[in-house]
Amino acid sequence: MDLTQHQLGPGVRLYLCETDKFKTLTCKAFIQQDLKAREAASTALVPLLLRRGSQRFPTTRDIARELEELYAADFGSDVLKIGERQILEFHFRMVDPALLPKGEELLRRGLEAFWEIASRPHGNGRFFEPYFEQEKEILLQELEGLVNDKRAYALVRCTALMCGEEPFGIYKYGDPETVRSLANQEVYDHYRKLLNDYPLDIFVVGSRTEQAAEALAGLVQGREAQVVLNAPQRVEAGEPRYFEEAMDVQQAVLVMGYRTQITYPDEDYYALLVANGILGGFAHSKLFINVRERASLAYYVGSSIEGSKGLLTISAGISGDDQAQAVEIIQEQVRDMQEGRISDQELEQTKRGLISSMNSMNDSASALIDRNLIGVVHDELRTIAGVVEAISAVTLEGVVRAMEKVQLDTTYILRSSSQKGAGHGTD
Amino acid sequence: MEQIKIPGGETVFQERLDNGLAVMVLPRKQFLRTYGVLSVNYGSLDSKFKIPGEGVVEVPPGIAHFLEHKLFEEEEGSVFERFASWGGSVNAFTSYTQTSYLFTTVEHARESLAYLLEFVNAPHLTEENVEKEKGIIEQELQMYADHPDHRIHSALMENLYHEHPVRLDIGGTVESVRSITVAELQRCYDIFYQPGNMALVVVGDLDPYETCELVRSSYPQRQGAGFSAQRIDPQEPSSIVQPWAETQLPISRPRYMLGFKHDPRWRGQELLRTQIAMSLGLKLIFGRSSRAYAQLYEAKLVDDSFYASFRALPRVAYSVFSSETDQPEALHERLAGIINELKGGGVEAGEVERLKKQFYGMFLGSLDSFEYTANRITAQYFEGTPYHRYLEVLGEVTTEDVQGALGDLLDWERSSVSILRPVNAHG
Repeated sequence: MDLTQHQLGPGVRLYLCETDKFKTLTCKAFIQQDLKAREAASTALVPLLLRRGSQRFPTTRDIARELEELYAADFGSDVLKIGERQILEFHFRMVDPALLPKGEELLRRGLEAFWEIASRPHGNGRFFEPYFEQEKEILLQELEGLVNDKRAYALVRCTALMCGEEPFGIYKYGDPETVRSLANQEVYDHYRKLLNDYPLDIFVVGSRTEQAAEALAGLVQGREAQVVLNAPQRVEAGEPRYFEEAMDVQQAVLVMGYRTQITYPDEDYYALLVANGILGGFAHSKLFINVRERASLAYYVGSSIEGSKGLLTISAGISGDDQAQAVEIIQEQVRDMQEGRISDQELEQTKRGLISSMNSMNDSASALIDRNLIGVVHDELRTIAGVVEAISAVTLEGVVRAMEKVQLDTTYILRSSSQKGAGHGTD
Repeated sequence: MEQIKIPGGETVFQERLDNGLAVMVLPRKQFLRTYGVLSVNYGSLDSKFKIPGEGVVEVPPGIAHFLEHKLFEEEEGSVFERFASWGGSVNAFTSYTQTSYLFTTVEHARESLAYLLEFVNAPHLTEENVEKEKGIIEQELQMYADHPDHRIHSALMENLYHEHPVRLDIGGTVESVRSITVAELQRCYDIFYQPGNMALVVVGDLDPYETCELVRSSYPQRQGAGFSAQRIDPQEPSSIVQPWAETQLPISRPRYMLGFKHDPRWRGQELLRTQIAMSLGLKLIFGRSSRAYAQLYEAKLVDDSFYASFRALPRVAYSVFSSETDQPEALHERLAGIINELKGGGVEAGEVERLKKQFYGMFLGSLDSFEYTANRITAQYFEGTPYHRYLEVLGEVTTEDVQGALGDLLDWERSSVSILRPVNAHG
């Protein structure tokens, strides 16, 4: 399904997708900025503060009551990291107004609540102080709590170690030390700047998008000049590095970070997408078959790419005792691909799988919006049909060419110190 | 086919084939994707049963889940690759009460559906492939052992139940999995994987009659006496095992979980009504619009992770409340006070009415998820609850019902607390 684009004001783009296939209307707004340590921490506080209260709904409870009155309308906010940009996201979802009593009125009221909560936080010239203090603590707990999910923790640690000297090494929610040092006024001023000066992209999917567009145009006003953002840094992989972290865990988590030198604007981007699929994106992929099905070393093993920075990451949950064997099998799969040992079936299945998941995005309002994020960051939106065509055109030579650029940078393992050491896994 | 209207303007087409299989098709216009899920009314709770003429059989914990893994094994080729060759994907999951096999695809929906029926009906169990699977399942269990949410829930179930298999992990233990034999797997397969004990749900833009005909004509003919096993639940005392237990884990801060054990005495519409009344009641405690949540959050006793849920199956029922917290004892005391106040007549009609609007909207919104809707149709078919009457029953639930459910079910005599405490993660 195609989007229509409208300019709402300086730096504000609105994309509409009119359809009656969903039972809901979904709206998401994204504000992007360069990823920097202090701004990242500041921005990470914003979603937490917004949910505490606005001018009209000064408490979490008031916000929740309004959303319940709107038949389970949902407001949310979060921060995301795409390449070396940090993105502040606001989203709003409600039942398709056509299915509700007095639907048109509820739609207007819903969008007003959405923009009220997103843009008019409780407080006077800064955030309400008790909220600020408490949410700072909550964010610190969140940062410390990353360790509770061992797989996510290992992925973040590997990235931080691998890209320690680059903006990409910054965690999307910032770091504890910076968060502790943040003052209310500073965070508020930065938030206002984000709202006023940074690129804002709004997407609406559902029926009644015309009315939604009208309501939003009236709400998003008074914006000024636009900040110009940087492109992500490209870094060559150096000598492979190895890091080991000891923790009292049942299962070891192995993460291997590669540099691909290929990003969204590059010609080989879709070849890399296919390469990643053949390597570890599916249950028919090399990693799944060889690490899990043949060697029985893991329950989960897979790979993913970060297409804006140009990274490929492999992760696996294994027994610490099997580390050396797992690393060896993984490296063999990468090597096989670089040397062209890819069957026609692997290539075709992977292309079909990627095309199918692209087409499936037409069936989810959220996916229809989120798939555009990388395009928003690179200022080049692509249609589903265009991407499907690009994937169809990928050849075996293209996949090999993409894989040849993929170089191991950092191997990281989180493991129990009681399991017998497997020595350094990298060669 | 029987046509069952569900709210939101959709219709489920249902038919029971001669072999006993229930086929339910939910057509959704304009959607590209087809989702199919074939479920067996057989889960981790079914570890003891009586076979007519044979007597009582007891099998090792984790066998239903083990079978789920093994049905992906084929004599030739791989199930994953077959679906991949059509651009689709296949997966499965096991719960307390059911095992489900599912696919999603954009193209070749008919072939995918026929093959789903084929592979689930063609077990290929050998000494070698069963042994090999043990390493994979062991890693899956180890992964869960590092999950705080999973650990605290398991510990709570052990506190609440003396004998009932709900106290055991769905996947069993490393030891029980190692002990499982080909003969045991085959036997459980033969007993439970009978069409009369299974249900198929298909969602997508398809013709219900053609789909049903396809299932009828392609459903594999198998020898078998039909489903005749009688499930045996142990005599579970009304009492709990212990009121409080603590476990240590490498996490960032403590977690608290309070559980109440209920008698699973509801059937059919009564079960649905109780589920709705109790879910509304719990929202008065953990919902973001509740006074209780505001008090607990401001006192820094809970954070955004705070939730409560009521789980009622035909054979087991319990409620849980959980949050991360720095002060589990203080949280327990305050929460107990809040629960007692509500039980003592604190349920307000205005709050219930507003929450009912929220539930109304959530029900309609959930229809956008094929997975959620299909799984709900399946579960409610096995449980005999009228899913299509959800909004009607919701409309009938009164403040008194909510008050009654809370007063009746939150019985301190049958409650227990499970705590996770951090050990130094990097110790």
